[in-house]
Amino acid sequence: MKRILPFIIILVVLGVALGSAWYLTRTIPATPTLGSQSPSSSQSPASQGSPVAQQQTPVVQGVPGADPPYVLGPADAPVKLEEFGDYECPPCGMFHPILKQMHEEFGDKLQITFREFPLVPTHQHALAAASAAEAAGLQGKFWPMHDMLYEHQDDWKKEFDVRPIFESYAKQIGLDIDRYNRDMNGELVAQRIFADGKRGHSLGVKGTPTVFMNGREVPFENLPADKLRVVIQNELRGK
Amino acid sequence: MKKIYVVAALLALVGLADALYLTIEHLTGQSVRCTIISGCSAVLASQYAVIAGIPLAAIGAAAYFMVFSLAILTLFNYQWAGKVMRAMVITMFAISVWLMYLQAFVIREFCQYCLLSALITTALLVLVLISRGLRA
Repeated sequence: MKRILPFIIILVVLGVALGSAWYLTRTIPATPTLGSQSPSSSQSPASQGSPVAQQQTPVVQGVPGADPPYVLGPADAPVKLEEFGDYECPPCGMFHPILKQMHEEFGDKLQITFREFPLVPTHQHALAAASAAEAAGLQGKFWPMHDMLYEHQDDWKKEFDVRPIFESYAKQIGLDIDRYNRDMNGELVAQRIFADGKRGHSLGVKGTPTVFMNGREVPFENLPADKLRVVIQNELRGK
Repeated sequence: MKKIYVVAALLALVGLADALYLTIEHLTGQSVRCTIISGCSAVLASQYAVIAGIPLAAIGAAAYFMVFSLAILTLFNYQWAGKVMRAMVITMFAISVWLMYLQAFVIREFCQYCLLSALITTALLVLVLISRGLRA
């Protein structure tokens, strides 16, 4: 007995470890589905998410976000991605070039919507960054500021005072600085960020980046470029 | 002497649980995302968190399981196991030092479960060095 006892202990521990790992990885909650109030679907009711997919997953009713949302790509694109992002979040920064690449590769077949989801207690500058992007948006320069913030994330996220840095970005993209500074602290920018946040919460978004494709959440592990490409191709094929 | 291996086995179990937790977080993407509650894990999202497609945390879990097994075998008088365990723990410590360096100077973010793992590996190193000292 004493000869095999250590092996029994080892096997029991191995069994418990593998068993718990298997149990915990399979009990991940199913991904929710957006409701019919998705702003992208309201823009073009004819091209809503595939009915098959909506039958497969439970429908979660989301409230509308900021209106109009900032979108890249045509409203009648067969595949619509909606990203909830935080400019200070490193994984969002890593996801940014992937999404740009998808935009280039799929062109008119893909529409991308960005939603502000600043994780305020976690990220000290996230709200200021979201405000900068939204303030630029009021001058029709949302995407240039969006790109600036993500591409230079490492330059500002550890700084104490980010406002002068964001202002320099505003100058670089050719904004009216007085108006930008007014809008940064203005009611409209705050309302837009709040509306996007409310939409995110209503859809069960808990972290960033969270991406929905035609109403269904894309699992985080499918966000690397090579996987996301296949996910989009499959969605296009299903159309 | 035996007590040292009992403590080592228990520490390895804690390390195994820690590394398993990190593996699950890594695979499900829960902590790789930024969240309001747990903050970000730039560490798990970094290129250093994966080696040849295998999450580093999973390799860590396997290593802790090996250390646990070797500690148990040593307790049951398998002399060779103690030597293998010593070599493994020294290797794990060296890897931990490298990972701490990456977190401090390259990624410039710390991951608390990774710090716990480094702490456990350091404690294991102290234990195997004591056991060697006692034998000598």
